[in-house]
Amino acid sequence: MNLSVTLGRMTLKNPVVLASGTCGYGREIAPYLDLNTLGAITVKGLSLFPWEGNPPPRLFEVRAGLLNSIGLENKGVERFLQEDLPFLEALDTRVFVNIWGKTVEEYVAVARKLDAIERIDALELNVSCPNVEKGGASFLLDPEALRELVGRVREATGKFLIVKLGPKLQDWEVTVRILEEEGAEALSVTNSFPAMVVDVERMDFVFAMKSAGLSGPAIKPLALKMVYDLVGMTELPIIGMGGIMTAEDALEFLLVGARAVGVGTANLVAPSSAADILEGIKAYLLRKDMENIEDLIGRVR
Amino acid sequence: MSFARICRKERFGERFVCFELEEGDIASQARPGQFVMVRPGFRVFDPLLPRPFAVLSANDDRFSLLFEVVGKGTELLSYLEVGDVVEVLGPLGRGFSLDAPFGILLAGGRGLVPLVFLAREFEKRGIPFSFFLGVRKRKDLALLRLLEDLPRVLWSCEEAVSGGFCGTVLDLVGKCLERALWQGARIYACGPEGMLRELVTVFPGKEEDIEVALEARMGCGFGVCLGCAIPRRGGGYWHVCSDGPVFRLSEVVL
Repeated sequence: MNLSVTLGRMTLKNPVVLASGTCGYGREIAPYLDLNTLGAITVKGLSLFPWEGNPPPRLFEVRAGLLNSIGLENKGVERFLQEDLPFLEALDTRVFVNIWGKTVEEYVAVARKLDAIERIDALELNVSCPNVEKGGASFLLDPEALRELVGRVREATGKFLIVKLGPKLQDWEVTVRILEEEGAEALSVTNSFPAMVVDVERMDFVFAMKSAGLSGPAIKPLALKMVYDLVGMTELPIIGMGGIMTAEDALEFLLVGARAVGVGTANLVAPSSAADILEGIKAYLLRKDMENIEDLIGRVR
Repeated sequence: MSFARICRKERFGERFVCFELEEGDIASQARPGQFVMVRPGFRVFDPLLPRPFAVLSANDDRFSLLFEVVGKGTELLSYLEVGDVVEVLGPLGRGFSLDAPFGILLAGGRGLVPLVFLAREFEKRGIPFSFFLGVRKRKDLALLRLLEDLPRVLWSCEEAVSGGFCGTVLDLVGKCLERALWQGARIYACGPEGMLRELVTVFPGKEEDIEVALEARMGCGFGVCLGCAIPRRGGGYWHVCSDGPVFRLSEVVL
């Protein structure tokens, strides 16, 4: 059975990828999951300097979903390189690193530092962050800022470059053309959905920032539609994600044309989820008498 | 995660449920103050996340948990019966220190769970201790069954009970523990946040030597989601699941 997939010049031994922010820096989840069985791991979003994140509460569970307002807490790129890279060096899987910044310069600086590290296979840009220099609007919602950001990071690194899209896009066609022109090599679709909860007893928002990101089974059909639409819009390979809990969920994304799948919130529910999903995909291929996973991809259009 | 069969179920009062579970790895490794993540074994995705529970006891191939029904997740778990299976992950987190010269154990409500485990461990090690339990409602006194064979147990209830001390566990401690009695002891506490916040007034100058087991809404339980942040003394955050759940009172801002 051939499970390997290609995303442009990137080959993964199978399509199952751990999504950013749900598997830490790798070491934390390793006791419960053999990372070497997976296609790739995406290290949680790194910034140039350590970032302490949002005050609690940071999580709230809703029906079949989870809202989070972690606020991008991370130890910063330097400490990551010192403390976590040695563990990742020894892995036999692709290592993707998600990066973010408050300014274009910060993104570029992080990308440069990681560009020098041979073990890192790809950078995933979180472009949903507020652009501090432009009054805090998300890079993703400002086409010119997005163009500058992706273009500048592209100049700074020769690594495989993935851009992670959020569900709030100004104009999909315009956004996708910018990403193609500026040298993005793959898209991660999608990030969590902006959402809200109100505490009726306290008559106030649950989260200090008012809104938070919704993930989990509740968003899966929405994410699937996004992936389907974007597959029809661009030749860039897409890593589909959003509420994938089971092999069947993952297969839906592959069938509509995602070339890999990200497992996120499921890792929190059970850290072995990604391995179970991979086993389920294999069982499906066997049952369907299919030798090659590529034969699945994009079969349902 | 592994699957564990419920081999005994017991109710305490109206809101507390105790499960004894068959799972050898957790039973042999768990230490007082550690916790496990639990979800029903039939893989529902609503409720979505597993729930964190402190370990009540562990020996050989079985361990037990006791939880209070407080919401949808705990309610669903409370419907499970002997023979049903749950999915468990653990033991997780940093437990209590076990080298105290003398222990004072202070429990508020369901906060008694990790402290009962600690008391049993102290008995094994020959470390002397006193156990104080405070409950809100008369019916919660059913929890005293867990402490029946322990020496030096004192309790209080916020509802009037004949022959019982009326007030919180810290009111009780204030009445019967003089400074000379707690000065050389290590204090271990678990209970509502208001109770833990008050400890510093009841035991002035003792913050370094008070260990508190904290409760938090958690995502993963093993340090990847960073959802269970609490303010750290001196700035930044701790994560209850991986840095705790046991902290020295001097390390946290409650």
